[in-house]
Amino acid sequence: MTDQVLDRIETFVRERFLDDSDDQSLTPTSPLLEWGILTSMNTAILLTYIRETFGVTVPPISITSGNFRDLQSITAMVEGLLPAAKAS
Amino acid sequence: MSQREYDYDIAIIGGGPAGSTAAAYLRQAGLSVGLFEGAKFPREHVGESLVPATTPVLIEIGAMPKVEAANFPKKYGAAWTSAESRDISHNGFQNLTHDFRAAEVQFNERDQDGVDRDYTFHVDRGKFDQILLEHASSLGAEVFEQTRVIGVEFPEPNSVTLQVRNDAGTREVRARMVVDASGRQTMLGNQMKFKVSDPVFNQYAVHTWFKGLDRKALAVQEGQTDYIFIHFLPLTDTWVWQIPITDDITSIGVVTQKSRFQDWKDDREAFFWDCVATRPDLLDELKNSERVRDFKTEGDYSYAMKEVAGDSFVLIGDAARFVDPIFSSGVSVALNSARLACADIVEAFHANDFSHQRFNRFESKLRRAVGSWYEFIGIYYRLNVLFTAFVQDPRYRLDVLKMLQGDVYDEQEPAALSAMREIVAAVENDPDHLWHRYLGDLKPPAAAAAAS
Repeated sequence: MTDQVLDRIETFVRERFLDDSDDQSLTPTSPLLEWGILTSMNTAILLTYIRETFGVTVPPISITSGNFRDLQSITAMVEGLLPAAKAS
Repeated sequence: MSQREYDYDIAIIGGGPAGSTAAAYLRQAGLSVGLFEGAKFPREHVGESLVPATTPVLIEIGAMPKVEAANFPKKYGAAWTSAESRDISHNGFQNLTHDFRAAEVQFNERDQDGVDRDYTFHVDRGKFDQILLEHASSLGAEVFEQTRVIGVEFPEPNSVTLQVRNDAGTREVRARMVVDASGRQTMLGNQMKFKVSDPVFNQYAVHTWFKGLDRKALAVQEGQTDYIFIHFLPLTDTWVWQIPITDDITSIGVVTQKSRFQDWKDDREAFFWDCVATRPDLLDELKNSERVRDFKTEGDYSYAMKEVAGDSFVLIGDAARFVDPIFSSGVSVALNSARLACADIVEAFHANDFSHQRFNRFESKLRRAVGSWYEFIGIYYRLNVLFTAFVQDPRYRLDVLKMLQGDVYDEQEPAALSAMREIVAAVENDPDHLWHRYLGDLKPPAAAAAAS
């Protein structure tokens, strides 16, 4: 479900890229690239997390700034790649 | 039939790792060897980190116990660190300075033929090269130091005449064939005009040694302090090597485009510190340690040879090819090219025929191995984040590790290479791709890679 995917990705981003900060200003639509939270290096790490957690391999053509703009976009992209049979 | 007498079966130009390894193999096969080295050992030399593909060779020539006894730092793997500046505009996230390991690999994650230990070494090349040269001597190679080869003639088939010079003057040395292991001096490559500058790579290195560098501060995990570290700098095509030489001495080198070095009007010290300053964590650690050697530069080191073998000659090691230090392949290419060449040389000797086609096997293996490496190096500079991604991807991790181990002399092209090519193309074609702006400037044309 959307919330689970979003929550897990948000938690991962906070823990891995933001030193576990619980600053409330990170929201599902905070611009991750603009703010420098996502960089070339850590997107590779995020891709690994996505693959290991959701079983989803993001194809290279999908690694676009549109898909990684914010947590919401990333979540939508991941959900779009989940097998249809998976309900959660 | 010629009645010439020969001083040696095989003459070797150069006493670095390639030359001394060739001398050892040939002596093991019972051939007589004369080796001519211009310097007096020990002498300083760049290229201080090894890859595991050196291990089978060191074992075969019987030098491994001596190398182990020298107590060089053991190298269990390699790690890259990120160049990204953490310039986060939003208030809540400022001042985040930790930088994370982009990628790390441990050699023992993959079995490698002929490799019986989990580590290789980082070496003081003065000591290491001397060990190998003395070893060749102990096997019966006649080694002449402070003796330069100033020319080679090919008077007739299966016969070479070297002009060698030392303080006492110039003399001639006759042999059945010559092995050019003269390193970046590329003696025969120059004499025969085989040398071709690389059309793409024109990197430059400035390096030195520091004492008292706190390697633990720069490593994220215990047990990684003696890895080789490659620190990306947030400058295109620029990185720093960090190689442990002893418990308290570390070799640090900045590698970048030659044009960038020239911008500093060749002031190597200012250049070094300006580059390092782009990584404040690294700068801090270096400022707290003591520089114990002069800055040295290495340039014009990317080239190929139109021929690496011919009638009565072969080129090995750097004298045959060098591309870039990024994957620490130099000493391994020296040792393995010596191994491959000597297999053909010994057969040629027994056939009493040193003509070009005798070295075809050596030639094709070397070209294929270096070709793979060249392409990896090109991809690394073109889009180095891809290495991070591939090292973390279980489908490709071992393939990348295989290349990093120096295990490139078998017949197969690494599967990761074609996958990487595809992704590079996808990134190049899509300006909206996240990685598009990280494309480096160096772009080897596919044709160049194939022709190597």
